[in-house]
Amino acid sequence: MAKIIRRAPETAFVPQPDDDLIICRCEEVTKGDIRRVVHAGLSTTNEVKRWLRCGMGLCQGQTCQRNFQGIIARELGVSPADIGRITGRSPVRPATITTFAHEVTEQKEA
Amino acid sequence: MMRHDLIVIGAGPAGLSAAIEAARLGMDVAVFDENARPGGQLFKQIHKFFGSKEHHAKERGFRIGEDLLADAEKLGVAVHLNATVMGIYEGREVLVKHEDETVHAKADAIIIATGAAENMIPFTGWDKPGVIGAGAAQALMNLQGVMPGKRILMVGSGNVGLVVSFQLLQAGCEVAAVIDAAPRIGGYGVHAAKVARTGVPFYTRHTVVEALGKDRVEGAVIAEVDDHFQPIPGTEKTLDVDTICIAVGLSPMSQLADTAGCDLVLDRKRGGTVPVIDEYGETSVPNVYCAGDAAGIEEASTAMILGRISAIRAAEKAGFLGAAEFTARADEYAASLSKLRRGMFAPQNKGRTDMTETDEGYPLSKSLLAHGFLEPNEVSAFPCATVHEVGVHPVIECTQNIPCNPCQDACRFGCITVGDDIVKLPVIDETKRCTGCGMCVASCSGQAIFLVDEAYEPGYASVGIPYEFVPVPKAGARGHALNRAGAPICDAEVVSVKYTKAMDKTVLLTMKVPAEFASEARFYRD
Ligand SMILES: Cc1cc2nc3c(=O)[nH]c(=O)nc-3n(C[C@H](O)[C@H](O)[C@H](O)COP(=O)(O)OP(=O)(O)OC[C@H]3O[C@@H](n4cnc5c(N)ncnc54)[C@H](O)[C@@H]3O)c2cc1C
Ligand code: SF4
Ligand code: SF4
Repeated sequence: MAKIIRRAPETAFVPQPDDDLIICRCEEVTKGDIRRVVHAGLSTTNEVKRWLRCGMGLCQGQTCQRNFQGIIARELGVSPADIGRITGRSPVRPATITTFAHEVTEQKEA
Repeated sequence: MMRHDLIVIGAGPAGLSAAIEAARLGMDVAVFDENARPGGQLFKQIHKFFGSKEHHAKERGFRIGEDLLADAEKLGVAVHLNATVMGIYEGREVLVKHEDETVHAKADAIIIATGAAENMIPFTGWDKPGVIGAGAAQALMNLQGVMPGKRILMVGSGNVGLVVSFQLLQAGCEVAAVIDAAPRIGGYGVHAAKVARTGVPFYTRHTVVEALGKDRVEGAVIAEVDDHFQPIPGTEKTLDVDTICIAVGLSPMSQLADTAGCDLVLDRKRGGTVPVIDEYGETSVPNVYCAGDAAGIEEASTAMILGRISAIRAAEKAGFLGAAEFTARADEYAASLSKLRRGMFAPQNKGRTDMTETDEGYPLSKSLLAHGFLEPNEVSAFPCATVHEVGVHPVIECTQNIPCNPCQDACRFGCITVGDDIVKLPVIDETKRCTGCGMCVASCSGQAIFLVDEAYEPGYASVGIPYEFVPVPKAGARGHALNRAGAPICDAEVVSVKYTKAMDKTVLLTMKVPAEFASEARFYRD
C-alpha cells in the first residue's frame, strides 16, 4: 500500500452550504461531520471511519468510501491515494453472530 | 474443512470461465457466489454483446451466462450459491457464509472474481427513495419484471447508462434525459444513437444537483457544470421525473484481496483500488489470483478471457498443464484479449479527448459525442452509411472504432466486411447483391444497420429498422418516422414486419416514407 502522508488542513474550518449532505447513508454521517473531524486532527480514511462509523454500516463502505475519502483528501489538499483506505477485514459482509456460532467443522462432502 | 485444487470466488463471467477451464484440465474446482443465481452481471444483460464470435458476440448477455453455467455443470463444477466468502486467510483458506452457517474451505489456488460495485454521487436529496443505481434498475426490470419508475433521469452516459436507458424504454418507462458531467458521451456511439433516435435528449456537461420531493423523488434539478465540474449558478433546469438512476461507474471489490494480504494500488484507469497483479492475474500473494472486474473494470468479454488465463496459470503451477501447452494457450488468450482492447474505447484510451478521426481517417462525429446522434452532414463522411445501390441495400451507421464484427458473419452473401482487425469500420461491397434478408440488421449489436430502398415505389422509399419494443406494430400501421435525433419528420406506413428465430428477438420493421426522407428516417412511432 502507498505510504500515508500525514497532513493538517491549511485553513480553519469554514462552514459550507451543503455540510448537512448525508455521505454515509447506513450510519447517517454528513459531509460537515467528516470535514469537522479532519479539522480536529484526523487525516486517514481509517481514522475517520473509526471516529464517525462511516463505512461501518450494511454496505461496509462499498457505497460511501469513495465519496468520504474524496472529502477528506480535498480538505487536506492531498490525493485520495495518500490517505489510505478502509482496511478490508473478514467478515467482508455483515453477518449475525448466530451464523458464526453455526460453524461447520466436519467435512460434509465426500 | 473442504479441500479443493482451486477455489473460485464469484460465479460471474470471469469466475465461471476460470472454473470451466480448470475443470477441463482435471482440477477439482469449487465456486462460491453470494447471489441466489449464478452469472454475475450477465443475468441482467438482455442486450446483444459486442466482440467477435470467439467472444460470444451478438449473443445476449444472459444467454452467455446460461451457456457458461451449462458448461460448468457438464464438467461437474460445484457452484455453491448463497455462499458469501467472508475472508481469505493464510494458507489459502476461505471462510464461507452459507445460509446461516459458516464453512471453511481450502485450496492450492484461489481466483478472486468478485466483480465490482456501483459508484454513487451524493447530491441534495440523494438518499430519498427513487434515487437508485443503474444495476438496481436492471435487476428490477430484467429479473423481477418491475418498472423502476414512470419517468426517469439517467445520470451517466457510459455504456451502462446507455444500455440501461434503452432497457428502461423497452420496459415502457419514459427517459426524460441522459446527462453526463463530462463534455462527451462516455459509451459507444451506437448505444447512444439507439436511445437518441427514440427522442431522449442528452445533456453533456450537466450534473444532478437536487432530488426534489418530500418523501420520495418528485423531480430533479440538473445544472450545467464548469471545467472543474462545479454547477454553474443560473443554469438549473427542473425535470419532471419520479426516479433518478445513477450510472457513474463501478469500483472493483477488492476487500477479499485485502484480507488475503495482497498488495493493493489505487489505479483510476482500472476503476479504483485493485490488487497488483502480473500478466496472469496473480497477486503479490502466491497462488492467489484476481480476474475480471475485480481486477479492473472492463467488459464481460474480457473478463471471460482473464478468468481463463488465471485458471491455466494455476493449473500449470499445480501440474495439471505442461509448460509448452500452457505457453501456447496463454499466447492464444492474450491474442484474443488484444483484439478486444483496441479502438477508441480501449482501456489505454480511457479519458482521451484528442481523437478526431477514425483509424480509417474519417472525421469522428462531434454531434454523436455531444448529443448521441449523427448530423446529416457528418453521416456523409462514412462510405458504409451512404451507399446508394439500386434496390434494397444495407446502410451502416457504425462510425467509431469499436471491437465488433457480427455484421460481417451475418451476411451470407458477402455484402459486409470488417476484416481481421475487428475494430475497423464495416465496409459494404456494392458488387454483392443484397437480398434484404435482414440478418445483418438483427445481428448488429449496436442496432446501427438499416435496409434502405430509395426507389421502393414511385416517390417513396422503404427503410428497414431494427425494432426491439413491444407491441410490434403490424404491417399496414400508420404513424411517423423519426430522425436520428428522435424528432418526427414525416408520415410513415409499416409495410412489413419480418421476424425469424435466428433474429433473436430483433424484428426487422420496414416502413414506407416519402423518398426525400430515405436517408433521415431511422425510427418508427405510431
Ligand atoms: C448495464 C451493463 C451493461 C453491460 N454490457 C456489457 C456488454 O455489452 N458487453 C460486455 O462484454 N460487458 C458488458 N458489461 C460488463 C460486464 O457485465 C462485466 O464486465 C462483467 O460482468 C464482469 O464480470 P466478473 O465476472 O468480473 O464480475 P461479475 O459479473 O460482477 O460477477 C461477480 C460475482 O461475484 C460474486 N461475489 C462478489 N463478492 C462475493 C463474495 N464475497 N463471496 C461470494 N461471491 C461474491 C457476485 O455475487 C457476482 O455474482 C455490462 C455491465 C453492465 C452493468
Ligand atoms: S440484408 Fe441480408 S443480404 Fe442484405 S446485407 Fe444484410 S445480411 Fe446481407
Ligand atoms: S455495424 Fe457491425 S461492427 Fe458496427 S456495431 Fe453493428 S455489428 Fe458491430
